Amino acid sequence: METNVEKVKITIDGKEVLVDPGISILEAARQNGIHIPTLCHHPALSSWGGCRICVVEVDGSPKLAASCVTPVRVGVVVVTSNERIIESRRTILEFLFAERNHNCMICAQSGDCELQKLAYELQVDHLTVPALFDEFPTDITSAYLAIDHNRCILCGRCVRACQEISGARVLNFNNRGPHNLIGLDLSETREASTCLNCGVCMQVCPTGAIYDRYRTHYAVKGHDTAWQTTESLCPQCGLMCPAIFSVHDNTVLKIDGKLEADDSRPDRGQLCYKGRFEVLKTIGKRLTRPMLRNGDGTLAEESWEKALDLTADRLRAATRAKKGAAIAGLASSMHSNEALVFFRDLMGRGLGAGCIDTLDGAHFRIVHRAWAGLDMPLKEASWKMIPEADHILIVGADPYQTQPIVSSLIRRTIFENRTKVSVIGQQADLFPFAAHHLPLKEGDASLLIKALLDEATDCGTDDVKMAQAAELVRKLCLSETDAAVFHDIARTVSEASNPLFITVAGLITAADDSGFNSLVHLSRLKGLLPGSTLRLIILKPFGNSSGAWKLGLASEAEPGSKGQATACVLFLAGEQVSDPDLLERLTGLDFLVVISPYIPESLADMADVLIPCPLWIEEDGTYTSLDGTETGYKKKVIEPPSGVRDSWQILSALAERTGFRPGFDTWNDVCKAAQKEMGG
Amino acid sequence: MGKPKIATVWLEGCSGCHMSFLDLDEALVDILSKIELCDTPITDFKDFNFPDVDVGIIEGSIANEEELKIARKLRAHCKVLVAWGDCAVFGGINTLRNTVPKEAILRRGFIETESTVGGVIPVDPELPLLLEKAVPVNYHVAVDAYVPGCPPSPEAIAYNLTEILEGRIPVLPSDMMHYD
Repeated sequence: METNVEKVKITIDGKEVLVDPGISILEAARQNGIHIPTLCHHPALSSWGGCRICVVEVDGSPKLAASCVTPVRVGVVVVTSNERIIESRRTILEFLFAERNHNCMICAQSGDCELQKLAYELQVDHLTVPALFDEFPTDITSAYLAIDHNRCILCGRCVRACQEISGARVLNFNNRGPHNLIGLDLSETREASTCLNCGVCMQVCPTGAIYDRYRTHYAVKGHDTAWQTTESLCPQCGLMCPAIFSVHDNTVLKIDGKLEADDSRPDRGQLCYKGRFEVLKTIGKRLTRPMLRNGDGTLAEESWEKALDLTADRLRAATRAKKGAAIAGLASSMHSNEALVFFRDLMGRGLGAGCIDTLDGAHFRIVHRAWAGLDMPLKEASWKMIPEADHILIVGADPYQTQPIVSSLIRRTIFENRTKVSVIGQQADLFPFAAHHLPLKEGDASLLIKALLDEATDCGTDDVKMAQAAELVRKLCLSETDAAVFHDIARTVSEASNPLFITVAGLITAADDSGFNSLVHLSRLKGLLPGSTLRLIILKPFGNSSGAWKLGLASEAEPGSKGQATACVLFLAGEQVSDPDLLERLTGLDFLVVISPYIPESLADMADVLIPCPLWIEEDGTYTSLDGTETGYKKKVIEPPSGVRDSWQILSALAERTGFRPGFDTWNDVCKAAQKEMGG
Repeated sequence: MGKPKIATVWLEGCSGCHMSFLDLDEALVDILSKIELCDTPITDFKDFNFPDVDVGIIEGSIANEEELKIARKLRAHCKVLVAWGDCAVFGGINTLRNTVPKEAILRRGFIETESTVGGVIPVDPELPLLLEKAVPVNYHVAVDAYVPGCPPSPEAIAYNLTEILEGRIPVLPSDMMHYD
């Protein structure tokens, strides 16, 4: 689109250029390919003008100006580099090196450090000022992040990122002058502070002051010039956050968010503690060779051919012996759409399984039943709508545990838009910021939401209904304070013109749907969003729950309702099975085969065959967003351990051995089939 | 006129910079044909006599009285003084002790070490006394050229030496700079 804004003519380094009014000299220079070094400046953060590395000469003024905070004006003449400017920049760098203890040779960040790069660029080959050699504290209390103040240059990027991107507002400047330190809350340690471990401070830190404690990969790190970077997405929770993986020697060194200078994503491209750190946690011993149960009851490694043959034989035998309900297929919703489509077809059309379900099937059934009660087909709201809401009611859900970026976005919305947020249930990270907080007790959930529905929708209009609502509230036996909070939440919901509701299918336990229906009803009564969309965000337990549910992997009927299966194929994606109900369902089977990246510890006594498959990071595949409307492509980042075959190869081999022709001859065919079914 | 004379010393350092110099491999032959290498730890001289040389090279920081004496002596007997490596240039890894008082360091090293029984801090007059802080060479004597790096790459060392032999005082180009 052509803008009518008149451009400003300025001169940079003797070159006349036309730029947009209001932008900084730094931006103008960068748009015209002129390099100005920076240190405290970060494109995704507000400009601060603190470090003075980006100084330039403006209209020949004797005083140099910081280009990142100096706006362009008509006819201004800028010089970005001359002897005086370079001397000034070099002196600043020397002071930075002299002030704290930057020992590159023992710093893990060496090779990936902006301070170091800048010193090379400006050829700082020695210091002309004496170093202080003072000792500064180091905080290694957190399991995720460490701060070494010896390497801090007080550029304040972390402070700004903590506020502007994550919305956590934990980091700040403590003390003054030479005692100035980056502090957490009121000088807490990292562990004792309210830090949410998102790690955005680490990503923007230009030095090694804030670094990763989660993994000890430094031995294989090498120099950043030898790294490969892969741009992909994080498939952990359905928000599909863009992620940049730095890899060396088939080891992931770090995962960075794709911090956006623009607002193309409301979360501005951050990652959370899960996406940055926990996704790389190993939760057991990797399975690298198929294992079979021996005559003596122990599991022993076996060749791929033998394991696949035996699995196919036993599954075919189970089908023959007991038609229909003989076989159950159970998949993790962390798998890609492609793996799920193939698994569904192999189990259903190929083996005639009586039950195909996902690990989060209980959640699906609650949502499915609630949706069946709606007057028309409706979509779920997208989490991206959070900044536009004027009231957010969170019931039962804990976004910080399941979709942490949602909680970050809510925090930022509270600060930036003054949005009222009410929390019913446990939500530690939002507690200090939410307008209302009401506990959610088991058994009460249904009654509480019903009472809220009545009071919020009929507030002041119908005396009889108000009396009924009052009766419900009385039954809840709320304390006087909680009752006041309850009434205030109800009033806020009733007055809100653009509210959003955030919840989970199982408000208290996975199978508990009390209250969920009332909440769906309440959000329906508050009017729809454009595109037949309900004002309801449903947080789901797995990264591709939406995809799995949409592809029909989750069973509409309760598992076992069509009779007990005698054989089961469990297709895990990197989780350990701990759900007692599921473990009970899996006991007493004649044959259990587990396809899993890890040795499934809780199933070690039950499984007859273990087949290794890759982790999410070792395979390509598409994932579906939380609200089911978007599809994202997750690229393979590293190779699986030697001996592990792709899910595609495993499922193809089983199809071939059971005589099933799935109609997918290549990986591309599966991709196309998945894409078609997802409507993309 | 004879070839330019060069002397090198190794102070509070690990000899890594000298190793890097030797790592020039065949290029070393070319350089050695252009210079006369006088006192240097490479030739295992125990006694530093310091004839007047054209270029003096220091590896390592200055951390005790003996090292200070050698640095001053070399400075007095050379025309151009070069600091090799992070220790000589910035103080390097030796500066880790600077945040702790000297007495505490000696106590920790000689008495409180977990494996030490009945330790004493040595006071032999033969032993050089530790300075309060380990510091870069330019804290005590004027330095003309610097080659940072831990160790500097052979290319950086060769560049620096070649430039000096051709009569220029070089600043290391950005692409040869590294601190680790």
